[in-house]
Amino acid sequence: MTADHLTATFAALADPTRRAILTRLARGEANVTELARPFDMSQPAISKHLKVLERAGLISRGREAQSRPCRLSASRLKEATEWMERYRKFWEQSFDRLDEFLVDLKKEKSRGDK
Amino acid sequence: METSNSRMEGARPPELRITRVFDAPKQLVFEAWTKAEHLSRWFTPAPLTTHGCQLDFRPGGVFRLTMRTPDGIEFPMDARFTEIVPDERIAFAATVHGDLKILTTVTFAETTNGKTTLAVHQVYSHESDATRGANAGWTLTLDQLAAALRG
Repeated sequence: MTADHLTATFAALADPTRRAILTRLARGEANVTELARPFDMSQPAISKHLKVLERAGLISRGREAQSRPCRLSASRLKEATEWMERYRKFWEQSFDRLDEFLVDLKKEKSRGDK
Repeated sequence: METSNSRMEGARPPELRITRVFDAPKQLVFEAWTKAEHLSRWFTPAPLTTHGCQLDFRPGGVFRLTMRTPDGIEFPMDARFTEIVPDERIAFAATVHGDLKILTTVTFAETTNGKTTLAVHQVYSHESDATRGANAGWTLTLDQLAAALRG
């Protein structure tokens, strides 16, 4: 995974409308009209969001000229999730050391108190 | 004892939550974050070691350190504290990959038996040129760090 991918993915995910669109698409494919319905937004505005999601590789669109149904592409989301998982591992390993450090810090403090 | 999850979808931005219970009062757990010599002893995951930890423990202050692998590869981290509430909460902001901003909030909660629940919450967001903080930059790349930990 490249840094550019990640930046594009997180940039696309930074917008609440785009996250809501992805949430909707997680339930199944939909066209622009269907996606625009829950939002107080024009279809051209929704189309702009779809272009950002498509460029980030988060969705793909059908070739049918009129409806062009959108569907979720899971692989880029998975990459971003895996990247976040590395942070989880990082913290868990840090916490293991913090656990040991606190034992030492307690001892150092009790020695200092005497 | 320990729960964690990552979320990517829905109405909230991508975020990570991790909690751990430590057998120490929260003043002590908080103290572990307040001094460079303390952080140097635990913040970096083994077998990496911490070098040149600089800490200006106040809002706006720097939080910098370099993690080094046993074969000498270095991963610098450069963040800034955005909020400090003694014994309660610490937040710091860093940027990775140039545009990706990470805000980390650490909260300390004492349980009834003198133990402390530490919760780390990380939010990932994209920062535009217009909103980018001038100096905060987390240049640690986790792909490399993960490789180093495996190696």
